[in-house]
Amino acid sequence: MIAIEGVGKRFSGRDGGAVQALEDVSLTVAPGEFVAVVGASGCGKSTLLRLIAGLVAPSAGRVAIDGAQVTGARTDTAMVFQAPTLLPWADVLKNVTFPMRLMRRAGPGTEDAARALLARAGLAGFEGRLPRELSGGMQQRVAICRALLQQPRILLMDEPFGALDALTREEMSLELLRLWTESPMAVVFVTHSISEAVLLADRVIVMSPRPGRVVDDVAIPLPRPRSFDQEGLPAFQAAARRIRDHIFRGQAARAAA
Amino acid sequence: MARALPATIALIVFFALWEAACRGFAIPEFLLPAPSVIARAIAAAWPMVLNHTLATLGTVLLGFAASIAVSLPLAMAIASSTTIAAALYPLLVVTQSIPKVALAPILIVALGANEAPRIIVTFLVAFFPLVVASVAGLLAAPPELIELGRSCRAGRLQELLRIRLPFAVPFVFGGLKVAAALSVVGAVVAEFVGADAGLGYLIQTSMAFFRTPLAFGAVVILAILGILLFQAVALAERLLFPWSSGAERPALAA
Repeated sequence: MIAIEGVGKRFSGRDGGAVQALEDVSLTVAPGEFVAVVGASGCGKSTLLRLIAGLVAPSAGRVAIDGAQVTGARTDTAMVFQAPTLLPWADVLKNVTFPMRLMRRAGPGTEDAARALLARAGLAGFEGRLPRELSGGMQQRVAICRALLQQPRILLMDEPFGALDALTREEMSLELLRLWTESPMAVVFVTHSISEAVLLADRVIVMSPRPGRVVDDVAIPLPRPRSFDQEGLPAFQAAARRIRDHIFRGQAARAAA
Repeated sequence: MARALPATIALIVFFALWEAACRGFAIPEFLLPAPSVIARAIAAAWPMVLNHTLATLGTVLLGFAASIAVSLPLAMAIASSTTIAAALYPLLVVTQSIPKVALAPILIVALGANEAPRIIVTFLVAFFPLVVASVAGLLAAPPELIELGRSCRAGRLQELLRIRLPFAVPFVFGGLKVAAALSVVGAVVAEFVGADAGLGYLIQTSMAFFRTPLAFGAVVILAILGILLFQAVALAERLLFPWSSGAERPALAA
């Protein structure tokens, strides 16, 4: 479904120098597949998401969705950011329907769909609240509902739980899995938490720091539905160790150099 | 109401001390009149004071309106293009570096002794903080939200109207409050230089005849005007944009 072929991305820095964020990245994502991307800070994970979303153009290679090259923003992808980035002046319901209204795709059923989605995310009764009246975890749930309401075929998540506390984070991970099972779509999930990646994903892509390259592509053989009980399983441990080795070996190599 | 109580008490204590000092030390009226003397001076000349107040209020409101009418489009132009920003910002700073008191007599010669030069001086004093605050507000929308707009294929106009402008509202109101207070300053500066009515004119003519209590009265009325205008802006914000008041408070642009 998503095909990334030999993609490189250079940014020109403010001082005139160029930063190579990504180099020769190739990977594919199948329809309905949950792929996590793990790597140290500055490995171009976020850039990768923005390339798929069509928000930035690659300097080399190509990104294609269903065989068609991505040249701009598409209506079948939706994004969730690390910060909830809600509109402070709009209530929860208006926030969830905002992209649909912006794309002029809002119809008579949009509001009901939004209410149903909010109810599934445990936010029934909060439709009329303003974002600042909600906790961080609830705000991020609103942001996820906002993305899901677009019924995207591809959901792009940029460290969506990175700003939450550990307990909320675990709770939200399982909730995300539940929502994903109910409405199948391809998910590309960027995180720097190894256990989060293993718990959630079908495959974990490990990336090296600057310039970002794909170091490993680890299949997670754990059965679904996933739960935190699986953290003790040997398959979980083995996958987590393999990913951790890549990341820390890379760091050790750079420290020696 | 409970929040207003300490301020009310402080104000009463302040005036009481003032009154007591004037009486206790027998300070001459032409140096520092007591509050009661000021109040009597205003009451004695009431219709005349009211006329001067209305003249100043007219200048203040017109100058304030002009600064809003110019600042908001200007801020949008500056926020929408770095080229326009680079071209206009130095000019704006130049207008701010010119002392308005120095400009007022020149404007009066050029435009004649009418309302126009006073409105322009008021505008010049008030508009700059409003432009700066509005530009800051228009650029304050989080980059992710701009990306969300782009990923929904929103055009530049939609981005401005549906994301950037609403985000700027708390900042614009911060600027409006500063501009409201400065409008009063601007109007008085203009009246000092060339006017035949207004509280600034009243202060000058009163002092020329050592009618200090009346001059002080004009100052008190000016302070009240400034406070009322500030509160009117704050009230408008609460009524029109209830989500804005109590939201992230932008630091007042000085």
